[in-house]
Amino acid sequence: MRIYTHFSIKQALKIATVAIGSTLIVPAAHAEMSAKATELINIVGIPITNSMVTSWVLSALIIILIRFLVKKPQLIPTKGQYVVETLVQGVQGLIEPIVGKKLLKPTFPLLVGFFTFILLQNWSGLFPGVGTIGFMDDHDHFQSYIRPANADLNMTLALAIVHFGAWLYFVMRYAGPKILLFDLFGNKADKKETPTFMFILLTVIFFFVGIIEVVSIMFRNVSLPFRLYGNVFGGENLLHSMTGLLGWIVPVPFYFLEVLVGFVQALVFTVLVAVYIGLICNHDSEEHAH
Amino acid sequence: MIEVIAEVTGSIQGGLGCLGAAIGVGLVGAKAAESVGRNPGASGKVLVQAIIGMALAEGVAFFAIFL
Repeated sequence: MRIYTHFSIKQALKIATVAIGSTLIVPAAHAEMSAKATELINIVGIPITNSMVTSWVLSALIIILIRFLVKKPQLIPTKGQYVVETLVQGVQGLIEPIVGKKLLKPTFPLLVGFFTFILLQNWSGLFPGVGTIGFMDDHDHFQSYIRPANADLNMTLALAIVHFGAWLYFVMRYAGPKILLFDLFGNKADKKETPTFMFILLTVIFFFVGIIEVVSIMFRNVSLPFRLYGNVFGGENLLHSMTGLLGWIVPVPFYFLEVLVGFVQALVFTVLVAVYIGLICNHDSEEHAH
Repeated sequence: MIEVIAEVTGSIQGGLGCLGAAIGVGLVGAKAAESVGRNPGASGKVLVQAIIGMALAEGVAFFAIFL
């Protein structure tokens, strides 16, 4: 499907001038995106991919931007400080009922970091030039020079590993191994109201439920990266196909969809991590609330 | 009939998985909208619950596609 080869030079120039204005680069329009990130250079056996470079550049930009906006925190906030405060308070209001008052302070830096990082990495795929300028590889997949970081499974897996380490730390620090083991395997039936025979039977059942629970906890490390990667990579592919279908107007609603999806996925990741921590650590305050 | 079925190609399990996930997400969204209609004051809490439910239902689709 190489339609553009039939164009005359004059037509091609015309399209090229339009393409500079929009994000439409004609040869990129037809193919699927490559599922893997492109290797740019290889430093002593460690491949540096385009996704990694994007994530580094954007991380540096986030740090500089927030430093620039806040400068020195003041009692009467400047405009820039107010923007950052709105973000921080929004995330705080969202996760406070989930993790509970006691854990809000220790978990907050992690969760607001996840939210900001994932949100901006997701939205970085919508910039003109990101994921659109590139070349075709041998398998007829499109390889872009700049690729959003979350469109690479390695990045999302790294985020999930960070989540798992942090989850283990918070659970061990604020609930302890005893509560964790009771929560997973322990018998939650009331000893006074259940007959002894039933109680022993329930102990066995709760033990097997605990094994299933452990498997499901381990599977969080698979489902979290897949969800984020699938959404961001799928979104990139969707925008590609839509630009390939018709370069103008048609992709515009999908860009708005991707803005929404990027936000929702950042929210989902943050909220899910908060829920995982809150499930084990937030027993007391939940009972008070009811 | 069997010949027609034999002609069907592509990722069938992926399609079925996505179908299930889509139905699940739709159910969660419908109930969330309904509950906000009943109690508009709880919209913030309902949003969080709905997002968690949708995310868990949606995860199935990615398992079907990638695994």
